Amino acid sequence: MKVLVFHIGLDRYGMRLGAIARVLPVAGLKQLPLAPAYVAGLLDLHGAPVPVIDLSQLAGAPAGQLWFDTRIILVDYPCDGATRPLGLLAEHVAGIETIDEGALAESGVAGAPFLGRVAAGAGGMLQLVEPHGLLSPDVRALLFQPQEALP
Amino acid sequence: MLQDLSIKQKLYAGFGAIVTILLILLVLAYNNFSKVSEATRLDRHTLEVLLEADQIGANVLDLQNQVRGFMLTGEERFLTPDIDEEALLHKNVNHAISLTADNPAQQQRLRRVAAMIDSWQDNVIRPLTEKRRALGPTPEATASIARAPELFTGFASVSEIRQTLAEVSADENRLMAQRSAESAELHKSMSMVLVAGGAICILLASTIAVMLGKAILAPLNNLTEVVGRIAAGDQSARAKVLARDELGNVTAEFNRMAQSIEDSQAKELAVANELRAKVDALLDVVSKAASGDLTGRVTVSGDDAIGRMGDGLKTMVENLRALINDVQKAGIQVTTSATEIAASAKQQEATGVEQAQTSIEILSTTKEMSANTSQLLKTMEEATEVADYTTQATADAQNNLRRMDQTMQNMVAATDSINAKLAALSEKASNINGVLTTITKVADQTNILSLNAAIEAEKAGDAGRGFSVVATEIRRLADQTSVSTWDIEQMLKEMQSAVSASVMGMDKFSEEIRRSVGEVSQVAEQLSSVMDQVQKLAPQFDVVLQGMQSQAVGASQISDTMMQLSDATQQTVESLRATSEAVHQLQYAASDLQSSVATFAVHN
Repeated sequence: MKVLVFHIGLDRYGMRLGAIARVLPVAGLKQLPLAPAYVAGLLDLHGAPVPVIDLSQLAGAPAGQLWFDTRIILVDYPCDGATRPLGLLAEHVAGIETIDEGALAESGVAGAPFLGRVAAGAGGMLQLVEPHGLLSPDVRALLFQPQEALP
Repeated sequence: MLQDLSIKQKLYAGFGAIVTILLILLVLAYNNFSKVSEATRLDRHTLEVLLEADQIGANVLDLQNQVRGFMLTGEERFLTPDIDEEALLHKNVNHAISLTADNPAQQQRLRRVAAMIDSWQDNVIRPLTEKRRALGPTPEATASIARAPELFTGFASVSEIRQTLAEVSADENRLMAQRSAESAELHKSMSMVLVAGGAICILLASTIAVMLGKAILAPLNNLTEVVGRIAAGDQSARAKVLARDELGNVTAEFNRMAQSIEDSQAKELAVANELRAKVDALLDVVSKAASGDLTGRVTVSGDDAIGRMGDGLKTMVENLRALINDVQKAGIQVTTSATEIAASAKQQEATGVEQAQTSIEILSTTKEMSANTSQLLKTMEEATEVADYTTQATADAQNNLRRMDQTMQNMVAATDSINAKLAALSEKASNINGVLTTITKVADQTNILSLNAAIEAEKAGDAGRGFSVVATEIRRLADQTSVSTWDIEQMLKEMQSAVSASVMGMDKFSEEIRRSVGEVSQVAEQLSSVMDQVQKLAPQFDVVLQGMQSQAVGASQISDTMMQLSDATQQTVESLRATSEAVHQLQYAASDLQSSVATFAVHN
């Protein structure tokens, strides 16, 4: 299985390539006042607004600076039977690694809801991040307002 | 049973048995000897009794003879002999009775003899003696007495006494014969006891000697043989414990000692083998390291000396490996840096040469100026003589000064042009920086592009596998580009700092030239005032002359200064060449370092 490796704090995390739509460079984001701290802002994706959340702040790590290898990972977030684009601000995107399915094991510790199985590798332990668990229902409601409600 | 006794007990038992038999033999011999002594005493006693009996018989006969002599002769002298036979007879009879106190039969016989003797004396001897005395000394007296009846009873009594005495003698002889036989029997039995006892003693002593010898020598021989086997190298040889005496204890202790020696030898052998194996492993790693291969791993560890040595060797080899790795990397870096330095040094050298040329130009101009000043002086000297020429000469001098000023201006312009070139260089470097920023951005974009390509390839499944490889290669290229860009950035920074240093040097040089220009202006001013004075007052020519002289000195000072400046510039050029040479040498040295360090293998 191939995963995109990035960091939260000093730890390594991975996201399955199948769940990722695209990887984008960090562009200017429009700030969203009164939104939760981990909502980084709105991304202008070829004219369409896409909400972006900061994975580091979502995981409780202090808000880091923008690195040269900080990227926005664009995923298709399943919402109300359809998929909506969602940007994830990830630090230190190291690249793509191939992980043996057999090496994956349950972490056995209940952490954040989006954390999945772990695998030990040469560079240290790597934990999978599952996109569908990233947003709590209220945040999901906040970010993805029903289309009809929009003016 | 004999094996359970100690040697002391065995010796005591053996010698005790011999002594006991000797004691028994002695007691038996003493018994027989006392019996023989008793028999000898009894023999002597019997002989005494026989002697007494004979003496009694002899006394009786003597007494009879005395009586007969008296009866035949009637002379009293026969009855009173020197020896009183009657008393002697009584004494002997009493002695005999006392001797035979242990034999009642003999005593009875002897008492009968005593009684018969008494009756014989009372009934025969005394009546006969009285009758003869009564007859007196008559011839018929002998015949009449011979017919007396007492004489016949006297014969009968004497014969009866003698017969009884003969019985006593016979009885004593019989006893003596019986005792002789007993004595002979005793002698024989004593000989027998001595011979048999001696033989038993010798036999017993021999047996005990042999048994003791066996009991002591057998364990010793057994022990000696085992000691010999152990000495010959048979470590497992053990002595058999034959008896539970002191030698048995010695054998058991010896076995224990042999066992402990064998155990300790086996332990030492095991320890030595283990040590040799560890030392071989260490030696292997060290040999590999000695031949330049530092990839060997030390597997020996532990708390003992060899383990600590292994740990130390491991740390040493790892440190050496890390060091050589670092040195290899440093060699590459040094080579790169040396190349960069060489490039910038060449550039500086070129600049320096340009500067040197400029300063030579200045120098020649200055020399010219000095010559002009001398000429001016000469002209002024002439002017003191010829006033007409003065104005002309001053004008010449002014012209010369103007030319000099022009030359100075040229020099300043040349310096400015160098500065401008340097500024252009700096600007170009900035441009390169801009290009590098663009390259960095492109590399970053390429990186993202490769990630997206990999994602798309993953989504395409098997069809995108080839494309995935391409994406990986693109990402690697992008990473390499980033690294190279960073390197170029560093080089550019170094170049910019070198250019800055050159600009500073040029600024200093410009400052010097400006000072020279100032001095030349001063000279021009002085010249102008001189000209005014010359034009105004001829009598002040002396003062003017003095002023000209000081001007000449100033010009020569300028010339000297310019010479020094030229020398300094030349020296700068030479030192720049030397720097360039040194940088070349540094490059060679860095290459050598790299090639020599490359002989070490640090990765598997």
